[in-house]
Amino acid sequence: MRWLVVVLVLFAGVAHADEGGADFGPVLTIERIDLHGNHDTADRVILAALPIQVGDVIRAGDPRLTTARFKVLGLGFFRDVALELRRGSERGKIIIDIAVEERGTVVLNRLWFGTSATSPWWFGADVDQRNFLGLGIGVGGGAVYAGATDIVGARDQWAAELRVFDSSIRGSRWGVMASFTMVQASEPYRVAGPYDGTAHADFNAMSYRRIGDRVAATYALSPLSRIIIGARGELVHAELPAAPMRMLGDGTFVPVPLDLKPGDSRVVSASVGYDKDTRPDPALPREGWHFASSVELGSSVLGGSYDFATILARYDRWWPVARTQAIAVRLSGGVVLGDAPRFDRIYAGDIDRMVTPRALGLVVAPNTSKELLGTGLGGVQYGDAGGSAVVEWSNQLWRGGKHIYGGDIFVGGGLWALDGGTGVPIDLVLDAGLRVDTDIGIFELSIANALGRVPR
Amino acid sequence: MRWILALALIAVASPARADDEDEDDAPEVERMRFAERGDNLVVTANLTRIFDAAAYENLDKGFASTVVIRMWVYKVGSGEPVSFQLLQRRCVFDLWDEVYELRLDGPGGRVTRKVKFRADALKMLTSLDEDPIARAADIPYEQHYVLAIEAELNPVSEQTRAEVRRWLTQGTGGGLDRGGSFFGSFVSVFVNPKVAAADRVIRIQSQPFYRPKPAPAKP
Repeated sequence: MRWLVVVLVLFAGVAHADEGGADFGPVLTIERIDLHGNHDTADRVILAALPIQVGDVIRAGDPRLTTARFKVLGLGFFRDVALELRRGSERGKIIIDIAVEERGTVVLNRLWFGTSATSPWWFGADVDQRNFLGLGIGVGGGAVYAGATDIVGARDQWAAELRVFDSSIRGSRWGVMASFTMVQASEPYRVAGPYDGTAHADFNAMSYRRIGDRVAATYALSPLSRIIIGARGELVHAELPAAPMRMLGDGTFVPVPLDLKPGDSRVVSASVGYDKDTRPDPALPREGWHFASSVELGSSVLGGSYDFATILARYDRWWPVARTQAIAVRLSGGVVLGDAPRFDRIYAGDIDRMVTPRALGLVVAPNTSKELLGTGLGGVQYGDAGGSAVVEWSNQLWRGGKHIYGGDIFVGGGLWALDGGTGVPIDLVLDAGLRVDTDIGIFELSIANALGRVPR
Repeated sequence: MRWILALALIAVASPARADDEDEDDAPEVERMRFAERGDNLVVTANLTRIFDAAAYENLDKGFASTVVIRMWVYKVGSGEPVSFQLLQRRCVFDLWDEVYELRLDGPGGRVTRKVKFRADALKMLTSLDEDPIARAADIPYEQHYVLAIEAELNPVSEQTRAEVRRWLTQGTGGGLDRGGSFFGSFVSVFVNPKVAAADRVIRIQSQPFYRPKPAPAKP
C-alpha cells in the first residue's frame, strides 16, 4: 500500500497540473488581437508566436489561451507580457489585449580575456542583437585580439565573426542561420622543453588565415528539439615551416604534425545536427536533460582540400536530490576521421575545463595543465578522439530574489581523454564554483575558468 | 593543492546553508478539522490566502485560473505518506453571461458549477469542505498523523518553462568557437526575465490528529 502511495506521489509530482481544458468554459470567437507596448517589435513577430489567431473559435479554458503569454515570452524580446480578454462587438466574440514590456535584446554571449606563456594578453567579446530593427531577426558578431610574444614566427592573432539568424521564420518551425568568419592565426607549437615548460624558446609559431561562410537551416521537431542542417566553405592560407620538429628530453627529435596543407587550401563540408533540451531552467538546472549531436563531412568531392568527418555529441542530465541539491552526469566527446584540418580536430581545451579554451578558434595558450594521473596526457593539444565524463553535485544557495533569481554552488569531477598519440590518454578533470542567474544575465565563476586565464 | 583545499571547504560549507533553506521552506502549521464520513477520513480547511489581491482581480479577466492542491497524510515522525490526494480546480469568468464557471476534479470525479459572485468562486477554488484525504481503514486507531498540503495557483508545466527559456541555449549560427558552443558551458549577459513554477505556492501542515477508538457497544 505504501509503495502504491509513493508511486502515486512521484507520478503526481512529475505530472504538473493537467493543462487540459479545451472543453471547459464558454465558447468564444476571437474577433481581434490588440497589441500594446511593442514600440520596437513588429506586430507580426508577436502575432506569429501566438498559438491562436483572429477567427479561432475556442473555449475560455483552452490551454492555448493560458500558454499564449509564455509563447510570447519565449521570443526572448520582452521583460513581461500580460493578456486580458474583453467583450467583442457581439455576443460570444472577444478581443484579446496583449501588453508587452520590451527589454533590451542585446546579449553579451562571451567575453574573452587572459594572459598566458604564449600570449601576453588577449581580449574579445561576442555580442548579439536578438531583435534587429524589431523584425525578430538576430544580428551579431564577435572579435578577439591576442598579442604576440617573442616566440619565433609569432605575430599578433585576431579573429572575427559576423552572423545573422532567425530561429523561427514568420513563426514557422523553420529557422536559418548564416555567419561569415575571418581568422588570422599565429599558433604556437612546442619544439623543446618539458610538456609544462613555459620558456619562449620552447615554442615556435605557425601562421594561417581562414576566411569562410557557414549557413544552416533549422527545423523544430518539437518546442524543445530541433535538427540543424548546415554547410561550410572556407579558404585557408597557411605559411608552414619546412620540417617542424620537437626535441624530447632524451635529445631525440620527433616531427610535429601541423595538420594543414601549405599555401592555399579549401574546407568544404556539410553537416547535420540534433539538439533537444528538456531542462526547465537551463541556467541553474536541477532536472531534465540536454542532448546535442553533430556530424560533419568534409570532402574533396564537394570541392574541398580535406577529406574528413567529425562526430560530436554531448549529453547532460540532472537529477534533483533532497530539497536543494542536484546530481548531474555530463558526458561529451567526439571522433575525427580522416584528414581534418588542424582547427577541426578536438582540442584539449574543448573537453578539459582546466585548459584554456580556444577564443573564436584561436589558440591563445599552450596546454600546461598538470598530469594528475601521470598518464602522459600532459601537454597534448590536439587529438582525433576525445571526451569527458563528469559527475557534478550542485546545491542551491538561494532562490527567488527579485533581481538575482538564484545561485548554485557546484563541485564536479571526472575523467577526460584525448588520443594525442602518447601514453594512456586519460586524466582527471576537476572544477568547482558558483553559478548565478540574474536579471542581467547568467554568470559562472569557477576555479577551472580562472585557471584558464592565468599563466601556469 | 590550494584549490583542492578550496573545493573541500566549499563542499563542507555548502550543506550547512542547505539545511538553513530547508528550515525556511518548512510548512506552516494550521489548525484543520478532521472527521470520518463513511469509509473516508475527511478534512475541512481554507486555502484562500493563496490568492492575493491581484490574483483575485484576475478572476474577472476571462482567463482560466487554476488551483492544484496536493495532500499527503503522514504518520507523525515518519517521512512516508500513507495516503495522497490530488485536487485540481479551475475557474473561468464568462464575459457575456457574467457568471463564474468552475470545474472541480478530485478523487470523487468531476463536478462543474456556475456561481454569480466572485467571492463564491474564490471559496469553491480554495475551500476544503469535508474533502476525503484517506481511507479510514488505512489510519489505525489511536496513532498520530498529520496532513501536509501544497497548493499552487496557476502552475506552469515544466515543458512550458523550458520553452520560455529555450532561446538561452540555442546557438546563433557561429561555429568558430567549438569549445564554447559545443562542449563548454555558457555565460551570457542580457536582460533575463524568468517564469516562476506557479503564480503562488503555499505549504501548510495540520496539527497532529488521530482516530479515537470507537466506544464498545453497550449490551
